[in-house]
Parts: sequence; C-alpha cells; structure tokens
Amino acid sequence: MAGENIVSIRNLSKIYLQGEINVTALHNISLDIQSGEFLTLMGPSGSGKSTLLHIIAGIDRPTGGECRVQSVDVTRLNESELADWRNQNVGFVFQTFNLIPVLTAYENVELPLLLTRLGRNQRRHQVNTALELVGLSERAHHLPRQLSGGQEQRVAIARALVTFPSLLVADEPTGNLDSQSAHDVLGLLQTLSRSGKTVIMVTHDPKAAAFGSRTIHLEKGELSN
Amino acid sequence: MTIGTFILKNALRNKRRATLSILSVAVSLFLLTTLLVALRELTVPPEGEGAALRVIVRSKVSIANSLPARQRPIIERIPGVEAVSPFSWFGGQFKDEEATTFGQFAVDPRTFKKIFVEGKISPEAYQLFETDRQACIVGRITADKYKFKPGDRISLASTIYPVTLEFKIAGIYSGSVDDRNLFFNDKYLNESIGDPGEVGTWWIKVRSADDMPHVISAINHAFENTADEVRAESERAFQLSFISMMGNIKLFIGSICTVVVFTLILVAASTMSMAIRERFRELAVLKALGFRRRELFTFILAESFGLAMFGALLGVGGAYCLYTFGNIAHMTNGIFITSEVTPKILGAGFLVASSLGIISAIAPAIAVARMSVVNGLKTLD
Repeated sequence: MAGENIVSIRNLSKIYLQGEINVTALHNISLDIQSGEFLTLMGPSGSGKSTLLHIIAGIDRPTGGECRVQSVDVTRLNESELADWRNQNVGFVFQTFNLIPVLTAYENVELPLLLTRLGRNQRRHQVNTALELVGLSERAHHLPRQLSGGQEQRVAIARALVTFPSLLVADEPTGNLDSQSAHDVLGLLQTLSRSGKTVIMVTHDPKAAAFGSRTIHLEKGELSN
Repeated sequence: MTIGTFILKNALRNKRRATLSILSVAVSLFLLTTLLVALRELTVPPEGEGAALRVIVRSKVSIANSLPARQRPIIERIPGVEAVSPFSWFGGQFKDEEATTFGQFAVDPRTFKKIFVEGKISPEAYQLFETDRQACIVGRITADKYKFKPGDRISLASTIYPVTLEFKIAGIYSGSVDDRNLFFNDKYLNESIGDPGEVGTWWIKVRSADDMPHVISAINHAFENTADEVRAESERAFQLSFISMMGNIKLFIGSICTVVVFTLILVAASTMSMAIRERFRELAVLKALGFRRRELFTFILAESFGLAMFGALLGVGGAYCLYTFGNIAHMTNGIFITSEVTPKILGAGFLVASSLGIISAIAPAIAVARMSVVNGLKTLD
C-alpha cells in the first residue's frame, strides 16, 4: 500500500453560518495523502486545519467538493454508514484524551470493539496487543484518573489502534502534555507511521510537526504551500 | 466488558445522584401504590363469602329514615328469602372517645347467624349471645384493640337514641372481611327505648344467587305506594351507594395520583437530562468511535429505564410487602381492612415506572441524536 493515495481531496470547501454571516472555513482545498504518511497540518487558530481533519475523519461534512478515503467518498455516506465507516477505518486521538472516566484503561480500549462481532477472547487479544504497543499493559486495570496525562494519551492511542484502522487522526494530541510525555506520544505516532499506518495530525507546535514526514500549512482556509 | 456493564457503570457513575433518583422514584411509586390501594379499599368494598346471598333493605327516602318493624313478616313470606334480621345502627360512643372506630348494630341473634355466615365464633359463645339479652359479640380487631375478652362489660352511649347501654361480651368473632363490628340483640335496644317498632335496615339472606333478582324485585314491589317505601339491593350495591355519599372520592384520589405521576416524570426527566448533558462530550466521542444514534439512544433508554424500574422494585415492591405482610388493619386502627395490592395495582405501578423510564429518556436522546460530533467534542466537561 505504501505510496498509494489513501486520502484524495478535491475542491473541498466548508462554509459555516455564524448567526447571519457566512464564514469560510475551507476554500477549494485539493490534497492527496499517501498511505503510511505522517502528515502534519499546521496553521494559526481559525485556519481550518481541524475542520479539514474532521472532514477527512468523517465527523464533519463539507459544503462542497469531494473527500475520498480509500476510494470511499465519505461526503456521500449517510449518518449510519458513516458511523460504521469510522469504526472500521479511523482511529481518533484527541487533545483532551477523552477517555470514559468510569472505565478502566482496558475497557476504554475495548470500547470500539463492542461494535464489532468479535468474541470476548479475540477482543481481549486485540486490546492487550494495543496496550502492549503503547507500553501500558501493566496499567490496564487503572481508571483514567489513576494515570498521568501522557499515559492517558497513550491509552487513547491504544483505543484508536485497537480496530486496526487504516487512518489515525490526531487533533493536537500533545496540547495538554508536558514536553517529555509529548515527546513519547509523538515518537509513538511516528513509529506507527513507519510501520505503515497513515497518521494525520493537527498541531500548533513546529517541534511536534517535525516528527511528521510532511507538513501542510493552512491559512484562512486555504493551503499556503 | 459488555454493553450491559458499560450501561451499568454509566448509570452508577454518580452514586449519590443515582441513589437519590432511585429513592425519589421509589417513594413516589410507594405513595402512588398506597393511593391506589386506598382508592380500591374505599371504592371496591371487601366482600365476605356470604355477601353474594345478602340483600339489604333500607328506606327509599334516605338511609337515615327508619323502617317499620311490621315489614319483617311480609319480607319473610317472600319466596327465596331464607332469613331476615333487623340491622340498626346504634352509633354508640365508647368511654370518652370522640369517634368510635367500630360499628355497633342491633340484630336478631336467632336469624343473624344464618345471614352472617362468614363470622366464626364458638357455639357456646353464640348460644350465650342468643339467650342473654344484654350479650354482644365483638370482632377480633376491635377486641384486640381495646383488649376486650369474653365476660367483660362495656357501656356505649348512643348518639342516635337517648340511651346508654351496658353490654356483656359473649364472644369474639373473626373470619369476616371486617372484624371490627359489635352486634347485640335488637330486643335489648327496643326495650330500652320504649319499643318504637322501628329498625334501621333489614339484612336478608336469600336461598341462592338465582333468587336474588326476584327477591329484590318482590321486596321493592311489596312496599310500593306505602308510607314506608323501601329500596332493596344487593350488599355490594348497597356498599357502593354508601360510598358514593362520601362524594367523588375517586376523582379526588385520582387527581392526587395524577399530580404524583406528573411530578415524578418532571423530576426523572430533569435528572436524566442533567445526567446526559454532563456527558455530551463522552457521547460525542462514542459517536466518533462509530456508535450510531440508535445505540446511544439504547444506552440512554436502558439507563433511564433501569433507574426507574429499580425505583419501582423498591417502591411498589415495598408497598406490596407492607400491605401484604403488615397488619394494616391494626396500624390504621381498623380504618383499612383488606389493603390488597392487586395484580392490577402492581401492574399500574410498574407501567408508570416503565413510562417514566421511556419519557425521561426521550428529551436527552433527541438532544444527543441532534448533536454533531464536532459540537459535542467542544462541550466543556
């Protein structure tokens, strides 16, 4: 798969209605992302980088244009198809981790697998593999509040990986972490990318962007380079 | 982890709120069940085994009007009539009680035992009741309450007749649906008030259920166009008409029930809305992970339904245990006798709980369904 386009965006635009004013978040974006790439999206606040990430990940819809991920035009899927598609193809890593506080690390990672038809043993195997990959096997039965920020984010990465998605999207994953934890998390994302996973990350931080294989800048909803 | 475990963990994430929600549902449903039991007790009077064969005859004008004693042989001659007894309300006050909690009725002991078949009493005690004019028999509830025993003497000052009568307790009866009353010899009453030749009502036993309609019709017909027209009816019809004199109690209790249910729905809906609103961000994450609207709705509904049903188990179940195994007649000084939580009442309690679970899940479920993942993720914790 390496080298093939996993994401193909053509003439993508997004206009928000804020009160009575139209605000253009994305304007005529065209972009290809290759399989196994670690793409970082940079730009000032309001430049549209998160909006672009959300559309690629299928949690937001564009006003116009086309967004194909693995040849599927996600803009044409209905709500239910999109939910299934996200479960099977996209792993999410958020800035604020967004773990469910009443579930242990193991249960948080297992959550996306509840939507699959996997048996308990298969689920256990996949969860343990994902937790091992992020180096948190020994913390499997800890609640989020018993983990450090860096550990929480690694659990979130394990949750994103557990369904073996082809695409990993991360929205400022190091925004709430200290420098050491941020370094660990970015290193982990880089390793995943090198092992063939496509990673798209939004960041403000040039140091974080340096971990990526390619950086794209957005400004006022348009690609600036 | 299973979906069930996930729902349970979510429902119990704020244990204090979950406990308070369950308790509010439980207390409200206990109250609702109690009101329904009270309503049933008041509007569906308990029936003894002999009630199906009893006819009550009262003045057509008003139950407060007395009937002439000379009607008795006319009634006794009607085919199908097995026994006739006067049944006159004495309205006695016991000691200095303002409201005496047991009824006292003057009856004919010779025929009374054929009519009041469900009352169980020793033959010796009943024989004494028949032979001793001052004797009376007392129901078990009243005897227990006042610690009466055979041989005791009690005085009752009538609020209807200008007499105070002293009675000798011949025995204690039990087994009827209302073991509270005191029965004494009507001849004793007549002698004391100068034999006016009047009775309050007639209590009649008919031979079979088939005889009921024609006996009732014949009695009514026998005194038509006389100075003392009567109204004969089955015991059940008599009790229901007696209850109707209390006013529209059904509407009154029904209104309270409606208010209880409405308040309960508001409280439960508000609690569920709060519980879901503070989890919008998590629900948005679940959506992002691939959970669909219907799955999120199932989570919310299961949580809401579970809390409501657990409350119902405590509230309705608690009421069932209390009214089934508790001595309610004793606790209420004999005001409520049967206090039965019927399957219909149980069903109503659980139906309200189910509706509560569903209705309180609707608003949060709609809000979650409308929420976009992006907006949900922006929600502050």
